[in-house]
Amino acid sequence: MTQNIPQVQDTPTIKSAEFVKLIVFNDYNDPSDTTVYTFSSAYKEETIDGTVYLPLGGLLAVGAQNRDLRVTSGDTIISLSGIGADNIFLVLGTKIRGSEVQVFRGFYDDNDILESPVYNRFRGIITSYGITEDREGQDDNFSVAIAASSYVNVLSNRIAGRKTNKQSWQVFYPNDTSMNQVYSIAGVNFDFGGKATSKSTIGGGGGGGDGPGRDRTGGQQQR
Amino acid sequence: MAGLQTIINKCNALNIDRRKVVGIQITRNEIARTSETPTFNPWRMTLSMPASLPYQSNRDLIEAIDTLDRNTPEVVTFSDNACLSWIFKYQGTMSTAQINAITVASPAGFVGNVLTLTNLPAIASTRVLFQPNDLIQIGNNTYPFTSTTQVTRGVGTTVQVITNRPNIITSSVVGSGITVGNACSFKMFCPNMPTYTLTPGGYQQAGGITTNNALISWSDDFQLYEWVATA
Repeated sequence: MTQNIPQVQDTPTIKSAEFVKLIVFNDYNDPSDTTVYTFSSAYKEETIDGTVYLPLGGLLAVGAQNRDLRVTSGDTIISLSGIGADNIFLVLGTKIRGSEVQVFRGFYDDNDILESPVYNRFRGIITSYGITEDREGQDDNFSVAIAASSYVNVLSNRIAGRKTNKQSWQVFYPNDTSMNQVYSIAGVNFDFGGKATSKSTIGGGGGGGDGPGRDRTGGQQQR
Repeated sequence: MAGLQTIINKCNALNIDRRKVVGIQITRNEIARTSETPTFNPWRMTLSMPASLPYQSNRDLIEAIDTLDRNTPEVVTFSDNACLSWIFKYQGTMSTAQINAITVASPAGFVGNVLTLTNLPAIASTRVLFQPNDLIQIGNNTYPFTSTTQVTRGVGTTVQVITNRPNIITSSVVGSGITVGNACSFKMFCPNMPTYTLTPGGYQQAGGITTNNALISWSDDFQLYEWVATA
């Protein structure tokens, strides 16, 4: 989907700033229990969709983001000042991994007033972080780097589906008993299509010859 | 002794840098395209010092410089030294009393880079209130702005001043008075605070006893940077 950005059309000059929003989920079982951290390269506090973006958040840099005509995966790194404990606490004292990060770009008019709307540049999930001390002689600085993967990357790595056991099966269909007997035959080999013998059940025995053999799956076939 | 103020008073060269954060690209067909980030746009001044200060009479300066180190700001002004006060001298035509009466208008205030002033003097509409490069300070906030254009009195109850940078003052400035010209103050620190070397010279003696035989030379220029972290 293309997006029309009037501020960059038919003009050789633009004024813009970047706004970063970090949503930390405090409780994985309660998606509404979140803490929001904001940073920006703006010169003053700006309110975007009800969220105040602080100019003093210590944003140092926002890494490059892939720009393609079609949706592609990409990672980015957000660098924050580690001077002061706020941002170090952010990565060490919160459940930062798995948090949602959004990067917006806002445009300013000639009088340095933020125009609406702002435009989404990146949306992803925090995958890792790092704290770096850079000391050279008497210069001693700390920086915090947060690496984020875009949602496309996250979704492409997602493992979806159900396991063939009662618990997984009944997540979506609680009344479906198809897999109730799976536990009892776990680890048992069935020689489907083979001739039934007296030793054919436990420990690798085969199923029953021309008939269905001993049905230990509660009426459902396993393959 | 105020360390950076003394450096300003005794420097032999002053470089002022107010360049903004911009990106510039020249396209294949040689059209310039630029981007800008409206930032705090701090004042940056580079001061060159002569290697001629006698050590004995400037030990207080050295101590002040060492105490400030690279991370402590100091409020400095260009009105402190009569030989420097011309640098940022007010160029408009208002008297001190007329300037003191001016306040930031309500509700327009100071939004973006547009400063609206009221309580203007009853003077001819063609009289100049501010010339380009005139410093304007709002209240006690030591963050000088400059007028980018000539502002005349006009006939209205307010005038608008387009400033060199947007309003970086986080508190409300409505109703605040203004300070102009060399009466303005800068809150600066020196991230590269030079070290000093004592070299032979400036010999002095009193009663046959040597009282000084060293001149101070500095490892670098003083690169002052406006302290706006708590604006």
